[in-house]
Amino acid sequence: MSIDTAHIRNFCIVAHIDHGKSTLADRLLEVTHTVPDRDMRAQYLDKMDLERERGITIKAQSVRLLHDGYELNLIDTPGHVDFTYEVSRSLEACEGAVLLVDAAQGLEAQTLANYHLARDAGLVIVPALNKIDLPAAEPEQRTKELANLLDCDPSEIPHVSAKSGEGVDELLAAVIDRVPPPVGDAMEPLQALIFDSMFDPYRGVITYVRVQQGVLPSRARIKMFATQVESEAEETGVNAPEPTPVPELGPGEVGYLVTGLKDVHHAKVGDTITLAGKRGAPEPLPGYREPKPMVWSGLFPADGSDYADLRDALDRLKLSDAALHFEPETSQALGFGFRCGFLGLLHMDIVKERLEREFDLELIATAPNVEFHVFRGDEMTIVHNPAEMPPGGDHDKVEEPIVYATIITPADYLGAVLRLCQERRGELVDMSYLTPERVEVHYVLPMAEIVFDFFDQLKSGTRGYASLDYEPWGYQEANLVRVDVLLHGEPVDAFSTIVHRDKAYAYGKQMTERLKELIPRQLFDVAVQAAIGSKIIARETVKAKRKDVLAKCYGGDITRKRKLLETQKKGKERMRRVGRVDVPQEAFIQALRVDGAGSAKGKK
Amino acid sequence: MSSTAGIYVHVPFCLTRCGYCDFNAYAGRDELKPRYLRALEREAGLAAPAWDGAEFASVFLGGGTPTTMKPKDLGALLRTLRASFDVAADAEISAEANPDTVDEASLAGLLMAGYTRLSMGAQSFDPAVLRALERLHAPESVRRAFHAARAAGYSNVNLDLIYGAHGESLESWEGTLAETISLTPEHVSAYALTIEPATPLGRAVARGDVPAPDPDTQADMFQLACSMLRDAGYGHYEVSNWARPGYECRHNLGYWRRQPYLGLGAGAHSYRDDRRWWNVRPPEEYLATVEGGELPIGGEETLEAGDAYLEEVFLRLRILEGVPASWIDDGQAEPFLETGLLLEDGGSLVPTERGMLLLNELVLGLTSGGRSASLSTL
Repeated sequence: MSIDTAHIRNFCIVAHIDHGKSTLADRLLEVTHTVPDRDMRAQYLDKMDLERERGITIKAQSVRLLHDGYELNLIDTPGHVDFTYEVSRSLEACEGAVLLVDAAQGLEAQTLANYHLARDAGLVIVPALNKIDLPAAEPEQRTKELANLLDCDPSEIPHVSAKSGEGVDELLAAVIDRVPPPVGDAMEPLQALIFDSMFDPYRGVITYVRVQQGVLPSRARIKMFATQVESEAEETGVNAPEPTPVPELGPGEVGYLVTGLKDVHHAKVGDTITLAGKRGAPEPLPGYREPKPMVWSGLFPADGSDYADLRDALDRLKLSDAALHFEPETSQALGFGFRCGFLGLLHMDIVKERLEREFDLELIATAPNVEFHVFRGDEMTIVHNPAEMPPGGDHDKVEEPIVYATIITPADYLGAVLRLCQERRGELVDMSYLTPERVEVHYVLPMAEIVFDFFDQLKSGTRGYASLDYEPWGYQEANLVRVDVLLHGEPVDAFSTIVHRDKAYAYGKQMTERLKELIPRQLFDVAVQAAIGSKIIARETVKAKRKDVLAKCYGGDITRKRKLLETQKKGKERMRRVGRVDVPQEAFIQALRVDGAGSAKGKK
Repeated sequence: MSSTAGIYVHVPFCLTRCGYCDFNAYAGRDELKPRYLRALEREAGLAAPAWDGAEFASVFLGGGTPTTMKPKDLGALLRTLRASFDVAADAEISAEANPDTVDEASLAGLLMAGYTRLSMGAQSFDPAVLRALERLHAPESVRRAFHAARAAGYSNVNLDLIYGAHGESLESWEGTLAETISLTPEHVSAYALTIEPATPLGRAVARGDVPAPDPDTQADMFQLACSMLRDAGYGHYEVSNWARPGYECRHNLGYWRRQPYLGLGAGAHSYRDDRRWWNVRPPEEYLATVEGGELPIGGEETLEAGDAYLEEVFLRLRILEGVPASWIDDGQAEPFLETGLLLEDGGSLVPTERGMLLLNELVLGLTSGGRSASLSTL
């Protein structure tokens, strides 16, 4: 290698949403002349259309900057709680982290969560205050806050405007000065950490790796530890920022590897690559974890004949998305589809949107749910689908996943935050004042209570000032029941859900009221009921239709009348039948619409 | 071909356009009337050869408002029709009339001209309802026009009613029915107000300015009409039509029994031997085509076996003649029989009063089986 490890710096930028991470990355590309001015565009590193549209980074990326004889590898981390594990792997690839804080907003929940993650990963933290040119900036106050948190001297915190470029040189100097170079021995057997893995339709699986020990040649027979899959690697290279092949990646270096694999499941984030055969390392790097879906939902084609297309589309998406799980599911009401597992609601939204946009499918998604553990005696059943839950309490106990949530709020809104968390069955862990005006609150909350609209509620209750981050915190017993929705006595499996007993009535009432408006009147009164087991907890009635006849039918009306009947007939054929009740497609879509899927919205 | 055919003549002129009406009718085009009369006579001449051998048992002059034309002109028109076609001596000859366009003298003239059945657009006896329908006439003018018809010698009069307009209560409708019955017409047509999208009223409803008729209220009104008219001695012989025995409208029954009819005038429809065709709608286009010596046909369709079957079923159900039970797949009628929407009467399936209100459902339910396709020889 042309540069010895003493001249390498591997770092990332961690920040709360909107604190300017992507803009700073853009500026670094410019200041180091990594991207010629004429090619520069905003959010250069956010590659997918979806990412740029939503202003989020789904996939981590690395880019190599050359500056003052140093090789600076900037590793971009995903900025959403759905992808906490991916963040942790990206951090493992670094020795340092720029902790970027908005000079107007100050510390936020994600700032802290990422800071803790970075510190726990042993990274050197280079704090920086961004947006110092904003009129609302309070650099002194924010510097003090940040210095307090990090227990450092305020003079160690560069003031930057990523927008104008002011202070960016000083920040780069601080990174070079304070972040230690990687250590690694080129003579040791190869251990390379996969911190990102993606599928390229032309080149197959491309992984982003950090070489910890040994050397990764551009062409070699490699082995993935977790999957034990071997492959002929085709190319090593770095993003500068466009992919540029290099002969090898040495210890401490970051770059990409074209693996020769065709399926991302063979090269998973967190896994270790070594050389196949005798020269391989005996042990992988620590910390690998299987990607684990947190949120489940049934996806059904609106048109039943699209089932095969949906299966093909999911197969294709899975090639590039190792976190996506799916298995066939049959619903009485919605026909054939798939029960899919996602990292979170954002992930679910992205998958659904890609299926609709890239594969031109119209989908019905059932209400998302978390994974429950249902116990009967010593036997534990994992339930991904409310339909699998024994009805009416035929079990000993049910456990649900919980999360450890960090919320930072202005002190003025503390009451609203505590109220919301209590309503969501939260247990207060602790709280502390970061400054007299800002409070950090920790809660243990059921995941089911926060994946849907919690974030929206939190934002609206605090005028948008509070911020949230959370991490999985295991399982906990809860008084959970399955609520079924019945039409004319027939349960509609697609509407079953698992909720806390205290919230069963509210869910039942909401669904029955919604369905009362959505289900067209039939020839008989249709009871719309919500039930726990055999106990009815809410009821509405769709009154029988009394009039459906054309008043006039003379010479010129007969053709028109016949065509109306034919249209009506086709409409009926498109409806789904639940027992004796005809339910239009649209009623399912509307009834299952998740109101304010907060954590899936907004810029992250 | 069946020996009993009908002739429909369309007169597209009106004093004003009513907000709910989507008929082919125009206000303020009176200058076209002389040309239009000549064109009708010309069209009759053009159409006649194809109808050679057909006997016509009815002529129906509809619109629009035919009584905006002079009785003398309408008499000449009828003479032309009799000269061009084989119209039976005892044929039923109807004309529609607007109460505001007639008096005893004009009605006597119309009767003299040979129009022996009068169909009058009363709509309602509640001034608020008439205003909601944008009808210019007052309830009083309906009574006056009706008495004028009697004085002129009419013994076969229909009153048209519309129910379910915005603001009409069940009580108001009851009043309209009672007034109608007290006049003792031979025939009553009562139509649930239907909102047609391409009308001023339809647009008002779409904008939310006027509420759409409530189907449950209209159902109540229908059932009230059924009972009051039955008690007054009227027979219910089609969804929206009642008559004293022997006064059923022969012309309209022809439509419902799928007998042939010839339509003359702008936008008029014709039917014969599973073929239906219709004239161009705009009066100017109609005039220009006929004046050029061509039949003004704007479109046509040929009924497939399935279409014909569907029409046969829904028309038979509408006129309470019923559908032979043998036409219907096993099990398809049962839900309707059990729930009292259909009755079985001598091997025929006949809708009940509640069934008539849900006729579309009956038709769809009874024709959804495989047998409909095989019944191709109706």
